[in-house]
Amino acid sequence: MRRWAVAHGGERDIAVMKTVVYSCPFVPAEWIAAHGMHPRRIVPDAAQNGATLTGPAIGICPYARAFANDVCAETAADAVVLTTVCDQMRRASELIARNCDLPVFLMHVPSTWQTVGAHELYMSELERLGRFLVRLEGRAPAPDDLAEVMRDYGARRWDLRSARGTVSPGRYAELIARFHQDGTVDLADSDSGYLASGVPLALVGGPLMRHHFALFDLVESAGGHVVLDGTSTGERTMPARFDTRQLADAPLVMLADAYFGAIPDAFRRPNSDLYEWLKTEMTERAVRGIILWRHVWCDTWHAEVERMREWAPVPVLAVDADEQPIDRQTASRIQSFVEVLR
Amino acid sequence: MSGVPARITLAEWDERYTELSAGGMEEPTYGGPLRRHVEDGDLRLVTLRYDNSPASLRLWNFLLTEEDRLHQARTLGKKIVGTMKDLGTVPVMAYSLANLVAFYPDGAWWIPCLMELSAGLLGVADSLGIDESFCPVRAMLGAFLTGAHFPIPDLLICSVGATCDDFSAIAQRLNGLGYPIMWWEIPARRQPEPDEEAVELPGGFTAPQSQVTFVQSELERVRHALETVAGRRLDDRALSAGIKAANRVRRRLTELRRLVFTAETCPLPALEMLIAEMLAIHFCSDREETIAVLDDLLAEVRSRVERHDGVLSKDAVRVFWVNPVADLRAMNLLEECGGRVCGSEYLFCHAIDEIPEDLPPMDALARMALADPMVGPAADRAERIWYDIRRFRAEALVISRIPGASHCATEGMIIGDIVRSRRGIPVLEIEVPPVCDSMESTLRTRIEALIETVIERRKR
Repeated sequence: MRRWAVAHGGERDIAVMKTVVYSCPFVPAEWIAAHGMHPRRIVPDAAQNGATLTGPAIGICPYARAFANDVCAETAADAVVLTTVCDQMRRASELIARNCDLPVFLMHVPSTWQTVGAHELYMSELERLGRFLVRLEGRAPAPDDLAEVMRDYGARRWDLRSARGTVSPGRYAELIARFHQDGTVDLADSDSGYLASGVPLALVGGPLMRHHFALFDLVESAGGHVVLDGTSTGERTMPARFDTRQLADAPLVMLADAYFGAIPDAFRRPNSDLYEWLKTEMTERAVRGIILWRHVWCDTWHAEVERMREWAPVPVLAVDADEQPIDRQTASRIQSFVEVLR
Repeated sequence: MSGVPARITLAEWDERYTELSAGGMEEPTYGGPLRRHVEDGDLRLVTLRYDNSPASLRLWNFLLTEEDRLHQARTLGKKIVGTMKDLGTVPVMAYSLANLVAFYPDGAWWIPCLMELSAGLLGVADSLGIDESFCPVRAMLGAFLTGAHFPIPDLLICSVGATCDDFSAIAQRLNGLGYPIMWWEIPARRQPEPDEEAVELPGGFTAPQSQVTFVQSELERVRHALETVAGRRLDDRALSAGIKAANRVRRRLTELRRLVFTAETCPLPALEMLIAEMLAIHFCSDREETIAVLDDLLAEVRSRVERHDGVLSKDAVRVFWVNPVADLRAMNLLEECGGRVCGSEYLFCHAIDEIPEDLPPMDALARMALADPMVGPAADRAERIWYDIRRFRAEALVISRIPGASHCATEGMIIGDIVRSRRGIPVLEIEVPPVCDSMESTLRTRIEALIETVIERRKR
């Protein structure tokens, strides 16, 4: 039976806890867990739930559609949280509310970040999320309780970070997804003696859907190696480490700083922090090429393609994704890209 | 001098202009025959149909000479502010300072239409990786890079947050090319929670006081940026005067809309009404002249209404139109199919609602910014549309999708569902590209089907 560390120093069976689903990396799992609920960050699976939301497909981001369909088909969820980091996801919150009975919370994550006001707005949105969770019979956590949950998460995230390089990139991506899904970091069955080889690549872009995880193996089979997972489902969106020495003072402020103050993303205005993060990480990991992954109709990442080509000291391959598995043409492009870089 | 109201071609305007001039028509300094704009590259004008009044001629000339006004303002030592996305709030602030002129570079989205793609702006956007999957506002990038359509502003201000991703992404691309932008945050408008203080916004939406307070703080940053570029203070007194002046424009537009949308016979075509409404967002770079242009239009419309005269058949089907069209020709098309516009929501109804004058000015402006239909749920927008459909007795709803726009992917479904469920009026969703010639027969067929449906329903 999986158990979950919650506020007030105890553990509870996930099965009896209310589950809050979400997909945005700016929603802190710790905050939901501290309210005595199970945070579950979904990786949508377009192949599983296809037709809850119907209507014209033109212009609809396949990720937003798949997420909405997953949520509407979800039987174990008690609430859903969406954010404003993407206009289509913001608007998907309305579609979900109209198509299923789940309580929906739309959290405004500011696009701006260089002002005190933006940070305060993010904090106030966390507090509002807290009130929403309390209305769902969650428990408002005392600062000590939140700090405890953060310590627990921090420790497990540390384990997760430590696994990078010791398992294959695909396996690492799965571990991250699993951690987001149920909070566990299970390294027991991880690949043993894994040795990285091949052309070091960065995978950068929006979130992956379940059927897109095959991308890592595809790159590997082509002779490449994803040494930097900069997708929204990857390591880029992990919050900053908590300073455990100061955690007791103002844990919610630290939580907000670790997420809003640290996660680089394309939606931010300006989004210079994304490029600074990439520069640091690419240099450290000797990246020789970038695969920029974006969903069809995702304007935010689409607009970064040419800019990244102008900026990057290495070649950039832009790959469009939709609700289908990676097709032969895309696979061929990736294989050719890696071959050229070898 | 007005004669019999009619919709006429550009060639007919040539003759009409000669007649009017011979009859002693007085024009402002930017006046002249419409034909000269074609010679300047606005090729689309040849295919449009126009209202034949001198008031409409003045409106068109005012619109099509904005670039000259901006250059002239710079020559006169004024600072130019490019204000992006918020559609109506920041210009009210900017025009409160006498040495600032504000305009929306977003307006470049109509250049591909007006110049029938001859300016190459979309090609420039393509070359920057902003292809046709984005909203036609991507033409703005080309306008900046070519520098051929407006002077590069001294200050760029852009609202982000609860905005469409297209514009935010395009503005970021512009920023990445070396154009500094002052970003300000507009949060997603939401309903107040039970324990939160609620505030009524212009137009009838509500929001929590905390959101109004936050937006006010963001607008304070905007105020500071404006003061810096202007080199002078923008105090509350000046802002209040600016709000009063903006309201003079808004009251005129509200009255114009009421007269035109409720008249038994349509007194002014949809195309001229669209352009008149557009004046609200930044006054076409001259606030006082905007008022004069609107006064002329109002006088013309009042006269026609009193005479029970108009430009369309009395039987024209009353259509509520949602979203501006990338190709102005679409407004003509509706009328050619037997429709008339009776109610519109072109993304900026908050720029037509009066700004409260009994509140501290920054509070009032924050409320106005939050009243933007695009920062709230589509259901809110649908409620407002529904209210106006009843007010203007519209018989059908056309939702005009903007190609590639992120909000258009789903909002049409929600707006359409809500309106259908309330009144059961027919709803048509169409998409209008910057030049719709290749799709005209399809658009015509779809609009005709809508019109025929309404006519059949009238017989029941």
